[in-house]
Amino acid sequence: MIAQPAPKQEVLARRDAIVAGLRRLLPESGVIAEPIRLRPYETDGLAAYRQPPLAVALPETTEQVAAVLRFLHEEGVRIIPRGAGTSLSGGALPMADAVVVGLMRLNRILAIDYADRCATVQAGVTNIGITQAVQGTGFFYAPDPSSQLACMIGGNVGMNSGGAHCLRYGVTANNLLGLKIVTVSGEIIDIGGAHLDAAGYDWLGLLTGSEGQLAVVTEVTVRILRGPEGARAMLAAFRANEVAGACVDAIISSGIIPVALEFMDRPAIHACEAFAHAGYPLDAEAMLIIEVEGSPAEQDFLLSRIREICERHDPISLKVSQSAEESAAIWKGRKGAFGAVGRISPDYLCMDGTIPTGRLPEVLRRIGEMSERYGLKVANIFHAGDGNLHPLIMFDANDPDSFARAERFGADVLRLCVEVGGCLTGEHGVGVEKRDLMDAQFTPTDLAQQRRIKDAFDPLWLLNPSKVFPLVETLKQAA
Amino acid sequence: MSEALAPADEEGVVTALAEAYDAGVPLEISGRGSKRGMLRPVQAARGLSVAGHAGITLYSPQELVIAAKAGTRLDEIEAAVAAHGQHLIAEPPDLSGVLGVRAPQTLGGVVAANLSGPRRIAGGATRDHVLGVRAVNGRGELIRSGGRVLKNVTGLDLCKLLSGSHGTLAVLTEITLKVLPAPERCGTVTLTGIDPTKGVAALSAALGSPYGVSAAAYLPAGAAARVPALAWLGAAVALVRVEDFAPSVAYRTEKLRQELARFGRTELLDDGASRNAWRAVRDALPLRGEEGAIWRVSVRPSAAPAAAAAVVGAFGARWFMDWGGGLIWIAGPPSEAAHDAVVAAARAGGGTWMLLRAPDGLRAAASVIPQEPPALARITSAVKAAFDPKGILNPGRMYPGV
Amino acid sequence: MQTSFTAEQLRDPAIAASNQVLRTCVHCGFCTATCPTFVLLGDELDSPRGRIYLIKDMLESGRPATGDVARHVDRCLSCLSCMTTCPSGVHYMHLVDHARTVIEETFRRPWHDRMLRALLAAVLPYPGRMRAALAAARLGRPFAALVPGSTTLGRRLRAMLALAPRGQMPRSTLDGVRTHPAEGTRRARVALLAGCAQRVLDPGINDATIRLLTRLGVEVVVARGAGCCGALTHHMGRHAPAMASARANIDAWTREIEGDGLDAIVVNTSGCGTTLKDYGFMFRTGEAALRERAERVASLVADISEFLVRIGYAPTREPPGLTVAYHAACSLQHGQRVTEAPKLLLRKAGFRVVEPAEGHLCCGSAGTYNLLQPEIATRLRDRKLQNIRTTAPDLIAAGNIGCLTQLAGGGLPTVHTVALLDWMAGGPAPAGLKPAPPATGTR
Repeated sequence: MIAQPAPKQEVLARRDAIVAGLRRLLPESGVIAEPIRLRPYETDGLAAYRQPPLAVALPETTEQVAAVLRFLHEEGVRIIPRGAGTSLSGGALPMADAVVVGLMRLNRILAIDYADRCATVQAGVTNIGITQAVQGTGFFYAPDPSSQLACMIGGNVGMNSGGAHCLRYGVTANNLLGLKIVTVSGEIIDIGGAHLDAAGYDWLGLLTGSEGQLAVVTEVTVRILRGPEGARAMLAAFRANEVAGACVDAIISSGIIPVALEFMDRPAIHACEAFAHAGYPLDAEAMLIIEVEGSPAEQDFLLSRIREICERHDPISLKVSQSAEESAAIWKGRKGAFGAVGRISPDYLCMDGTIPTGRLPEVLRRIGEMSERYGLKVANIFHAGDGNLHPLIMFDANDPDSFARAERFGADVLRLCVEVGGCLTGEHGVGVEKRDLMDAQFTPTDLAQQRRIKDAFDPLWLLNPSKVFPLVETLKQAA
Repeated sequence: MSEALAPADEEGVVTALAEAYDAGVPLEISGRGSKRGMLRPVQAARGLSVAGHAGITLYSPQELVIAAKAGTRLDEIEAAVAAHGQHLIAEPPDLSGVLGVRAPQTLGGVVAANLSGPRRIAGGATRDHVLGVRAVNGRGELIRSGGRVLKNVTGLDLCKLLSGSHGTLAVLTEITLKVLPAPERCGTVTLTGIDPTKGVAALSAALGSPYGVSAAAYLPAGAAARVPALAWLGAAVALVRVEDFAPSVAYRTEKLRQELARFGRTELLDDGASRNAWRAVRDALPLRGEEGAIWRVSVRPSAAPAAAAAVVGAFGARWFMDWGGGLIWIAGPPSEAAHDAVVAAARAGGGTWMLLRAPDGLRAAASVIPQEPPALARITSAVKAAFDPKGILNPGRMYPGV
Repeated sequence: MQTSFTAEQLRDPAIAASNQVLRTCVHCGFCTATCPTFVLLGDELDSPRGRIYLIKDMLESGRPATGDVARHVDRCLSCLSCMTTCPSGVHYMHLVDHARTVIEETFRRPWHDRMLRALLAAVLPYPGRMRAALAAARLGRPFAALVPGSTTLGRRLRAMLALAPRGQMPRSTLDGVRTHPAEGTRRARVALLAGCAQRVLDPGINDATIRLLTRLGVEVVVARGAGCCGALTHHMGRHAPAMASARANIDAWTREIEGDGLDAIVVNTSGCGTTLKDYGFMFRTGEAALRERAERVASLVADISEFLVRIGYAPTREPPGLTVAYHAACSLQHGQRVTEAPKLLLRKAGFRVVEPAEGHLCCGSAGTYNLLQPEIATRLRDRKLQNIRTTAPDLIAAGNIGCLTQLAGGGLPTVHTVALLDWMAGGPAPAGLKPAPPATGTR
């Protein structure tokens, strides 16, 4: 279990008064304080780490968020912002003396403007909810994390979420125009708007990916894009990870940037096929999902070029999707990959390192060696175009030793990513999970600079503390 | 001002800034000085140029990354990636024509100013492709953020914060950028003789089409006349660009012509003419010969025609639009009255402005970029202090006292 | 997900089964997004993942259920949208059914809640009692406005009065215990679940089913001894009566299977179908012979739409020129994963079929839910009707009586899918629709 700072006893002692204060600010159903009802809020998508909060507040408006933050700030109470609770890095893990501020009730779409290609939505709108609201006219919101069905845009901003199509369309930060934020002291500030590139410091860029440590986001203005005429996926199966990796390099070097270029290794292929029945090649060591866009003729043109490149890499099979249903099934398998691993293992840790793409075969080989050493199975899913690697380490949470090994295995994988020139996290965020590995990637000076920025927004370190920065640093701050 | 510091390497930048920090000496940070005239004049005792700290340090075409020291000339980087059939995604402009400084710009300067060209609307801004930075803060400490991989959310994103901070938070020493394959072909659909309102509507229709438009601009007749590739049209023109493999460009420009026919007469510019026309738009050449002040105004595209009309009404502005109407380049007299009119037009369009070029007097007196609301201004001051507690880096460049 | 049951607890087969379900969950949260109550209420506790957590806590602790747990589990519609969404294959239905049983056994509800539940359990599964109750309710409707205030009881009483059908309540002419011979050559022999509440609320559904099937060459038997499927009591956590109902059906149909044989057990109320298909699980710990019989019965169960696709359906009338909004009943789309068959058949019958947005969300009917949780049920109904109206249909079709009742009164006719199919194949026009186009015999 991950270490957490000791709760502030003086806050715990004022629990009833704090809860009463929240009840004065919110409707009856908006405050949760009974121990039994707090339990489901003790964790998020990283269920291995758990800690019930002091209370949960569920505001319904930006003004209520501001009132709650102002009150908690005055009371010196720590604040854990939460969206859908799908973080895989424990970004919404509570603390015993903290109030979880859930944004799920801010779930309205406020404005859609097709002429200016933007939409303003509240933080609790799901990622896919934005696309669903605009897709009737052929538009979509581009970043598509695997959890897009459930994850909320506020959390996407907090973690700067990516997705399978960000090779072509960018991550969350590249698709935002504006934010409405509430500072820790309860001030409401508008950042950006419906225009591009505000003058002044790039607050939009800084806040995106700040993991709820600088402010609470309540509204988001996103760019919406007109979708292509069509898209088609193909599956290419290979005999070895090295060969699939070389094929990826060859595709990129040919000047083609597919809209998605996804890699799965053998265990991942098997787990996903069992869930999606998409016709994944079960005899392959590695598989690529390659998707292109455009008119049918354009798709044919690109797929035939890609096919030629694949054929130079001794594929086991190449299969081009022949229909929208087939493409949907191919993606269903990929997008459900994490949960699908839940079918073959009771629990998993999903790693999220990024590596220079050329190092993939070496990294996979070394992960394979670690897998044997730790005695834990691993399935690898890789956004091959942009180097984002998701090893899913399978373990049994009912066996403490198994979990401890999984944690060490995961840390080793991430250190390996940094060693080969990559980073700890490509799209899930540092959260609590990778907090204590930050010094593998950053110098003390680097981290001190980041901490001073947090100081500037939140001098008392009340917003989602004990995440992102190594705990020892955070404790120093609190002292 | 005494002689400018010109460290030859990163260590030299660290030493220079550490000494300046100890002595409390404000510095004007630059590369080759091409953007010295942007924003407010800096009140500094000395200059510090990173021009000597130059050279490409990493280029991995199949991994789509290039890294270079901050003083590296941008044209050197452009040539290096072009040799591998790649390009800089945000298409950064060369504003020497409008800024009137004939110095080649450096990578550090382009990133510090977050300058992006016409492709910004489809491919993102320069800041969107900054994967990693090394920089020295106002305490003389080397700090790093990001890395050399395409996706990275580890820790706070200082790459974005430092992009567009105009050297007021830290001195960039090395930058890693994402690059992409350069398109095989470029084609442009033009709509001539169209008024600004219909022009922006046409650009919105094009950008809302499924044909992957990579740039969209509108030039009034006077502006178009100054672009050789467009002058022959002899009228105001809306321009829509497609870049892709040759068959796609042929197909998509044809589709766009059909789609846009309802707005007026369309023409097709071939690859060469397209490249020339968009280079002119990128570098703001339609305003090259203008005296006086130049502003860049960023608004919601549908509000752009009204904003343009307002500044024309107020002071007879010359102007043109890029980014589908979202960016208006404006030239006019360097007066406070003209500046106030630009500010009012930008505000009415729900956007922001930047006074790009003006005499020192106006730059010092006017809000060259919008003042932030008090709550945000407090954060700005605190973040500035978090990097540069003694205020030695480009003091006053963006806001008085910051 | 980690669980902490003792070896002693795991000896209880019900706990063991729930442990299995809990271990499958990886807490990814996908289910929250498609859960109607989470969408409306925005609280983890009213999401499948939150309920799973509450249930896990309750089962692990071994303590009696608390009011908090009961409240959040009660708000679950058992629509099983979460199961369609879940990438890990968590069998939420079995878990929540178990939880409802534990709550029923260990938690003492307020008196009016107990009374209402007892009343519903005593009336709904019995057509005779239900008919009488509805007649009384119709007399009571004018007094709905007099039912006091905003108490839970008051809201529920008003909900019940509102749901009572307005017109005369005709009786079925066909669905008594008997065998309906096939017209022409017999192609199959099926048992029809004649059901309970549906027979009272809309006897025409069984009539249409029998007419259509016999016309298609299917012998239809309404077996003696078969009655309520058990779902109504099952979902209220009343384990014993539910098992008794199921047991009676298994016995009745086993007699038919072992007698003249059955090719299918056809169900035209999808809520019941979901439960019938789960008989194997319900009797998994019973003696081997009973378990086998339960599994055999479950394996023969087919929704009417599934069965019609299997044997082939063809209309005999000209297309009616009507646009049908197909409302996917949760029990059909999520519980049984039957999604395409009804739309396929309706199109084949000549209707233009439109699918409203948010088709995965429940309409709020959910068995007795609209009576027990009228507020949420009404919000869901309004949302559903809004989505349906956007598609500008002439009528609504669904495969479940609960949905049809819930959506009635929204300004559009609500008709069971099978009634429309029967109509286009020569049957009478469903009530509220324009007269049928002429039969052609050539199609």
